[in-house]
Amino acid sequence: MLDHLALMSLDALLIAVFFTFLWKRDRSERLRYFLKVFAALLLGAIALGWLMYPFPRG
Amino acid sequence: MADGGRKPRQAPLPLTALLIAAWLVPGLGHLLLRRRARAAVFAAVIVTAFVVGLLLDGELITPKAGDPLSLLAFVAILGNGALFFAARLLDLGQGVVTSPAFEYGKTFLLTSGMMNLLLLLDVHDIVSGRKDW
Repeated sequence: MLDHLALMSLDALLIAVFFTFLWKRDRSERLRYFLKVFAALLLGAIALGWLMYPFPRG
Repeated sequence: MADGGRKPRQAPLPLTALLIAAWLVPGLGHLLLRRRARAAVFAAVIVTAFVVGLLLDGELITPKAGDPLSLLAFVAILGNGALFFAARLLDLGQGVVTSPAFEYGKTFLLTSGMMNLLLLLDVHDIVSGRKDW
């Protein structure tokens, strides 16, 4: 439950499902859009994490 | 007629009542407009996000003196409608800052509230005829 990647993935999943059904109507369009948003959120967050890694917290 | 010559949809309730219903119960606005599948998906997503947020020791943020950003966060949290009031009544969502999941919990609670607020705009668009599905 406390795994950061799992929680981030769950958040990305919920948001991607929400916006898919909010903005897209057709089934194939929805699938493509869902995959795009989910991947963007997940990979974007991981990429951002790596970019921030060299910077110290304090 | 709505702007752009689009025909407003016949709503089962006055727009204000529909928006209040949609705010109080996630997905209810779409259900009343007979968008059953979308209503079910929206309700499931928002309730899941809200419950996960509470389980992760997230905080149902209330306005704090000297912290103007907390007011914005409160608006987002208030977007959860009846879920917010029910959780407050049950004394949930106090927020455990020492919990490792606290920030995640808060994020889930803010997300669910903002998603529900976006649904209000969608309901408005459907009723006004800007969106025909």
